[in-house]
Order: sequence, then structure tokens, then C-alpha cells
Amino acid sequence: MQANRIKASSSVELDGGNLPETGDIKGKHRIQAEVKRFEQEARFLEQELQELDKTEKVSAALEEFLRKVESRPDPFLPVTTGPANQSWDRWFEGPKEHGCKCRIL
Amino acid sequence: MSVAELKERHVAATATVNALRERLKQKRQLLLDTDVEGYARSQGRAPISFNPTDLVCCRTLQGHTGKVYSLDWTSERNRIVSASQDGRLIVWNALTSQKTHAIKLQCAWVMTCAFAPNGQSVACGGLDNACSIFNLNSQVDRDGNIPISRILTGHKGYVSSCQYMPDQETRLITGSGDHTCFLWDVSTGQRVSVFGGEFPSGHTSDVYSVSINSSNSNMFVSGSCDATARLWDIRIFSRAVRTYHGHQGDVNTVKFFPDGQRFGTGSDDGTCRLFDMRTGHQLQVYRQEHDNNDIDTPTVTSIAFSISGRLLFAGYSNGDCYVWDTLVSKVVLNLGTLQNSHEGRISCLGLSADGSALCTGSWDKNLKIWAFGGHRRVI
Repeated sequence: MQANRIKASSSVELDGGNLPETGDIKGKHRIQAEVKRFEQEARFLEQELQELDKTEKVSAALEEFLRKVESRPDPFLPVTTGPANQSWDRWFEGPKEHGCKCRIL
Repeated sequence: MSVAELKERHVAATATVNALRERLKQKRQLLLDTDVEGYARSQGRAPISFNPTDLVCCRTLQGHTGKVYSLDWTSERNRIVSASQDGRLIVWNALTSQKTHAIKLQCAWVMTCAFAPNGQSVACGGLDNACSIFNLNSQVDRDGNIPISRILTGHKGYVSSCQYMPDQETRLITGSGDHTCFLWDVSTGQRVSVFGGEFPSGHTSDVYSVSINSSNSNMFVSGSCDATARLWDIRIFSRAVRTYHGHQGDVNTVKFFPDGQRFGTGSDDGTCRLFDMRTGHQLQVYRQEHDNNDIDTPTVTSIAFSISGRLLFAGYSNGDCYVWDTLVSKVVLNLGTLQNSHEGRISCLGLSADGSALCTGSWDKNLKIWAFGGHRRVI
């Protein structure tokens, strides 16, 4: 493997091509199944369009979003809301690594 | 109906779906009146400011002899399992840097690993198209190896990602190169549900990543090579709850935001994005120029949020590990340039359960533990 993922080509747009050969019973059933899936997908998309009519804009939820983020104690922040937990600093109480700063200055 | 008529219906159905998708896209665009950055700056928020020695690498976990591909923390804070190109899982005590278990895998091509909630088992998957479960308390065999306690077979493609459901030792979700996600009962080895595949609104290409909502474990999100993320309800496997568009390339990594209402993604298009789970809105794009002016934009390999969500840690294919201030959309630190940083691509990263440490795994064969070692002001 060149990478830790196998990259396959994506297929986002439906182009209606690559249909099975005519005169093939299996191919006909495959086309039927695909048509059913697309018609079902169309119904789901129409539902989503209707839901969007009742969906608020992005700005509506952002005040609550900011409040939530800023109200939670976070060991990685230089300034954080409390309470702090003493165990957050346990990483600096363990064995020193050669060549690595692991004490609070 | 004749084949010719069927073909006509196929063309019409395809055109209808494409037109509906375009209408959805435009309608959604009208609702994007701002983003997180725009709103946060209007409220006077300034970027988090780190001193040069605030975030330090306080442990380097050495032992793998190949690239590290995946890691996962236990829910009880200090232990990590890692998976590597060397065909091994290693379980570490991150506090003491000691290895507690080294598991030689039957299939060396491992891509993902996960700790069970009780910390007694680990799972892994890869190019064998299966997910293997190991009980860490098992007696070793005569070669000194921990035997497989269960193997989950059924995927028709590689297993790229796996995660146990929180507080459930017996339920696991996998993502696969066969375009589907599965929910498994580990105690029986049986597949419980399939998400995608033959059903509409499933992914149309390989699934690379899954993330379970810790606030509502019935929900999980998947990221795929089809450039979308999809939300699933494990009780409704016949269709995805929602599909999230926006990325221009493979979605390599997905991770729920700490509040369980939003999730982040990282992609081959070089950006991270934040989506609102319920409304489907794209709340923010995190896009940054990289210093070395690569001709190819570095891809995002892995992401994690700090426990409040204020920081987004993102690993990139060029070795950068940006720390984003998620509110003002600014890179406030690059772990890739700090002292004692990795010497290769960061392929995976994860936050400890209490949010006090970040572990990064790299193609340089090491894992590193990062923590805040500066002066902390508690308000």
C-alpha cells in the first residue's frame, strides 16, 4: 500500500449512464431496482426540501453554541472556566523523558 | 414494461434526483446568513493565545516498527491501543510509557483499532475485510500471542474504521470499503444492521471513518470517499437520516463535537468543516494556507476536538498538526513545528477521556502525548 488508505475514485454525480445490456433479464431487473432506488431517493429529497422550509438560519443557533463551548472546563486552554481538576497535570508528574521537557516551568 | 421504457424511466429518475439535489443546495445556501467565525468576531471573541512552551510533548511512545495508522484511548483515561503497518496492536500505559500488551495480528494489513468501554478488549480491522476482537485478559498461546476471541466477518471490502458503542461492550460499529457501515453484536459475532449498500441514501463510495455520538449513542456519523458525511440512526437502517455536502474531496475523518449537536470532518480538499447535526447546516470551514507551499494541498488525515470544543486538532499529510480556535477559525498553534514533534505524517490522533492529553500517531512509527504545561488561569 502506498498510503494508509485505499483511495477509490468517487462517484457523486448521477449521469444515468452505465446501464446493463438490453435483452438481459438480469440487466432488466437491475435497471428496475435502480429506478426504484432513485425514485425513493427523490421522495427523501423532497421531504428534506419541505423540512428546510421550517429550518432556521445558521445564526439562530450560534448564541447557544458559543455559550456551551465557553462554559465547559478545558485543560488545554490557558484561560478556562472552572472547576479545574488536579489530575489534568498528572502528565507532568510522571517519569521524565530523555530530552523532553515534562515539568511545568 | 419494456427495457427501453425502463431506460427512459431511469434517465428521468436520475434527472429528477440531480435537480432536487441542486434545489436543496440552493435553498440551504439561502439559510447560511453567517458562520461561526462571523458570529464569534461580532461578539468580540479573540483567538486563544498560547505561549511557545504551553503545549508540550511529554511522552514519546516507541515500539512500533512500522507506520502508526490508528489509535484509541480507554474511557478510564490512561491507556491507549495503537495499530501499525508492522502488523501489531500495542496497548500502552500512556502515563508510564510502558507497553502492557503487544498483539501480533494474523492479517498484518490493519487500518483501525478501538478499545472496548471496559478496557478489557480491543478490536481491529483492515484489508482482511474483517474485525478481530482480542480479550486482553486471555491466556497467551504457545507462541506468546493473545488469541482472537471473536472475528466479525461479512463486509465485502476493507474495514477502515471501528468504534464500540459507549458503555456497551457488545456493540461495535464498523465502516468499510464496501460503502457500508455495520452494527455488530460482538458476543455472538453476528451483524445486527447494515447502513447503506442496497438502500437509497447510503454512501456511494468507500467509508473511511465513523464517529458515535456520546450524548446519544443511537446516532453515528460516517465519512466517505464520496465527499459526504452521513448521519445514521441505528434504529432506522433503511436510510441515512441526513447527508452533509460541502467537501470537494474524500472525507477521511469525522468526529462528533463534545456537545453531541455538531460534528467535524476532515478531507482530501485540505479543509476541516463543522456541521450542525440537526439542521444539516455547514457552520464553518477551516481552511489554511500551509507554509511550505506544496503544489498539492495537504490533506486532512485526522481530527479531534478538545473537551470544550474550543480547539480542533487536525493532522495533515505533510506532517502539520494544526490547533484551530474553532470559534474564530484561526490556527493558534502548529504541533508539527514544536520541539520534539513527529518526523512524518500524523495519521491519527485522539484526546484522552478527561481531555487533558492528546495522543498523535505518525508514519514515523511513534506515538506522542501532548498536554498543557503552561500557567493556567481558572475563571
